[in-house]
Amino acid sequence: MSDVLVIVPALNEAATVASVVTAIRQHLDAEVLVVDDGSSDATASVAASAGAIVLSHPFNLGVGAALRTGFRYAREAGFSVALQIDADGQHEPADAKGMIDLIVDGEADVVVGSRFSSGYEIGLLRRFSMRVLSRRVSRSLGTRITDTTSGFRAFGRPAIEYFAEWYPSAYLSDTVEALLLAGERGLRVVEVPVQMHQRQGGQASSGTVKSLYHLVRLGLVMVVFRLRRSERRSA
Amino acid sequence: MSKLEIAVLLAAAGLFVFVIEVVRRRRLSEGYAVLWLVVAVSGVLVGLARPLVDRVSTSVGIVYGTSLVFSVTILFLLAVSINLSMHVSKLEGQIEDLAQEVAFLRGPLPPPGDDAAAEPDTSDQTG
Repeated sequence: MSDVLVIVPALNEAATVASVVTAIRQHLDAEVLVVDDGSSDATASVAASAGAIVLSHPFNLGVGAALRTGFRYAREAGFSVALQIDADGQHEPADAKGMIDLIVDGEADVVVGSRFSSGYEIGLLRRFSMRVLSRRVSRSLGTRITDTTSGFRAFGRPAIEYFAEWYPSAYLSDTVEALLLAGERGLRVVEVPVQMHQRQGGQASSGTVKSLYHLVRLGLVMVVFRLRRSERRSA
Repeated sequence: MSKLEIAVLLAAAGLFVFVIEVVRRRRLSEGYAVLWLVVAVSGVLVGLARPLVDRVSTSVGIVYGTSLVFSVTILFLLAVSINLSMHVSKLEGQIEDLAQEVAFLRGPLPPPGDDAAAEPDTSDQTG
């Protein structure tokens, strides 16, 4: 049996999820768990036919909640490594080998697959906010993280057990805040460069006002995070 | 009775009837209904007791009694809204927990023909 569980959070990705599952099974010695986050299309059955184990949320909860479902599964079933990968075909499963190795060799508890080293094109507002987030998270973790919102990450057993209990489910928190929590928990976070394709299908979740709201919300999360930490210190 | 007092009375009566009606249709729980019925009754009292309101407001240094009523009302509604937001936040968390529990209770959809993967606790022993 493989010791690695690949968690694929999927919302209405019937068009791409099968090829993603197939590619993972080709490149990695791992079980594939697709967490269907309340899809209205055939995501669940398509994924199961492609050879994945599928857990279905009764309605949409968000990527973070889908991940926590995956972590809980990994914890119960005794997997020692969990790999998170997008269902839209953005990530190259072959890249995950290096990420998993870092976990298995005990070099890190959380590995972030970063898309910047491979010349990925993004917009201006997004680039600016990502730089700010990167600086903040890097300072907090004491190690350089350029792609704080990457959805391509590997987790070791301590991270699985921690995040199975509690994982932030709001948009952006599911990536950025999770890194801060990992750092505070004393988990070692490492970033590695990975390739990134343009999405094969599905829709990017962004409108300018909405993104701004999410950024402001995340800013508040970070402020409160710091307040909580000082409270814990003095306690 | 002034036109203003009649308007206040009508508005309060309308609120009262509306609250009772939505409770009757089970679209509002009795707990919250009590809150809004109290609001309706206070509306009537405040509307009819203008002289008292004016006396209280001058004693705390507010010239217009209406301003006092507005201030108190706004603060009250603010408190109620924040309380409801807190309640909704808590419900969101509980709904997430429940939905995940449902996902696990339904159990995984196994790969076709792979019966051994049907349970989370046995899937790690296959292959």
